[in-house]
Amino acid sequence: MDDSAKRLLQRLVRRIPTQMLRDTLDKWERLTAKQRAFVDFTQSKWTITQELLAVCEERELNVKHIAELEMIYVIGNPNQGMWHTFQLVDAEDDAHSLELVQFKEQFKSHLSELKRNVAVKIKKHTDEAVWIRIAWGDTFSRPNHLKATYVVHYLQTPFVFVSGLLSKHKPLLLQALTLSTRHQGIKDANLSGQKLTAIRDLLMRQYQHVFPTKYPSPLAERNRSVSNLHIENEQAEASANRHRMAGEAFGNGMLPALQSAVYKLETKFRDLTNETMTERDKPLRCVVKFSSPNILESLRHCASTGTKNILATSIKQMMQLKGHDFVSKYFYCKQNVSQPVQFFKCPQEVTHTVGTTGLILLQELLQLLSHPCCHLFP
Amino acid sequence: MSLLNPFNKRPGLNTATILLVENEEQFQQSLANVLVEETAVTVNVRLAKTLPLPMKNDESRPRIDLVVFIINLTLDKSVKSAKASLKYLDPGYFLGKVCFMVTNARQALGCTGRLDAVRQLAVSLHCPLLFAEDQTPEGVTSSARRLLTILKVASGLVPNTTALYLSNLTRCAMPPDIDQPSFD
Repeated sequence: MDDSAKRLLQRLVRRIPTQMLRDTLDKWERLTAKQRAFVDFTQSKWTITQELLAVCEERELNVKHIAELEMIYVIGNPNQGMWHTFQLVDAEDDAHSLELVQFKEQFKSHLSELKRNVAVKIKKHTDEAVWIRIAWGDTFSRPNHLKATYVVHYLQTPFVFVSGLLSKHKPLLLQALTLSTRHQGIKDANLSGQKLTAIRDLLMRQYQHVFPTKYPSPLAERNRSVSNLHIENEQAEASANRHRMAGEAFGNGMLPALQSAVYKLETKFRDLTNETMTERDKPLRCVVKFSSPNILESLRHCASTGTKNILATSIKQMMQLKGHDFVSKYFYCKQNVSQPVQFFKCPQEVTHTVGTTGLILLQELLQLLSHPCCHLFP
Repeated sequence: MSLLNPFNKRPGLNTATILLVENEEQFQQSLANVLVEETAVTVNVRLAKTLPLPMKNDESRPRIDLVVFIINLTLDKSVKSAKASLKYLDPGYFLGKVCFMVTNARQALGCTGRLDAVRQLAVSLHCPLLFAEDQTPEGVTSSARRLLTILKVASGLVPNTTALYLSNLTRCAMPPDIDQPSFD
């Protein structure tokens, strides 16, 4: 085994937690059962690395096989690292009938034309996703497997998710992708995050959709259970209404775990107590950043507890339709729920005219967002 | 005016009713589940987000013996909503039938202003101020037990004691001034 393979293996063993290492090695299927039993996973990572190196030497594995192992690990745990989304535009006529084999060949050939010495590995996952691992090299150097780029593409959809891409390789990769998927262009979809599953669900609309129903509430139960006989909620109707409205806006199922949403606004400041700001002619440019372990879930909770009577639905619609980020100045939003979102604070520029109370509450902000002067810039 | 009145209904036999008012509607549910498990007395629990209570439940509602305001110290809205609800209680309740229960006091160490405000409120109304821990089941059980003790007295089920007598012992007092010299 040469040096780069050894280093890659060492890096991998350090990166993968021990419990997952065993499963990943099983899925890899390059070691025999006896060899896998030989490696003792209860010992320190260093010992495991040495044992694995010895075993791989026996099997005469090279860097390509170790790269396979890394790929299996990343496919199993996609929610790491930063994923960026791109959208393919202007499909040509045969884009819709693109097949995997054709795509693979085209992509490999295009990429190797553009840059010599790239190692490409393409794998099709069970849920129709095509995973591509690219190790970039030069005319003068071997492919660098330690810093590989991962690309996920669902054939016949316009979305591509990329992680670990350097800016010097970006145009090459994008060109190869565009040509091999038979489109005419590709653009940045402005949606990025750590959780691949969440951004994928959001873009491909794989969350529970909300359909309008004529009779939303189910029949009321006649017999209440024993323990509930002594507990009674005085305002049960009001809270049931709120839950229903939240369900109508967000759906009752799992929501994709969006962690950060940034909006760029050009809008009008509206605060009756503050005339200097309200009377400005030029539109107010601001940035709104929402960040939370799960934004949509916290908005739904907000709506169902009635904390702000809202326009949470309009935010959600905006996120879905536009699907990309708009960059704005920082307003942070305070939410009193189990998944807290940051505090509201006025940006620097506005504070010195507003004074000490530069706080705009979520409600007013949301009014701002839905104000007719508010233009959302792509 | 729909003031909640402590004495305009007949009490039930061996029954005690408690009203938990909480803006977030989280802790009250787990407290209620523990409170109804009491066997010596029949405990009825009514849950509300704010006062005033809806008029249409007036007939079916039993006499409320103890009103507990659950305040989450990390949230401003919680304190404000509890203060706003106080207006809808008949003054008869403040003779020992109101109690303040505060959660997350440890996390709110940064904003002592809120805790002081709640303490002032409890002192001015002569009500007890209890601190509760709502995340673990043990915390819920111990707060429920404390509430049950006060509830039994407030509903007249403990002989020779009334809510007013008990409130003299349990009511909140302001801590002594920090300016005073400590004994070193």
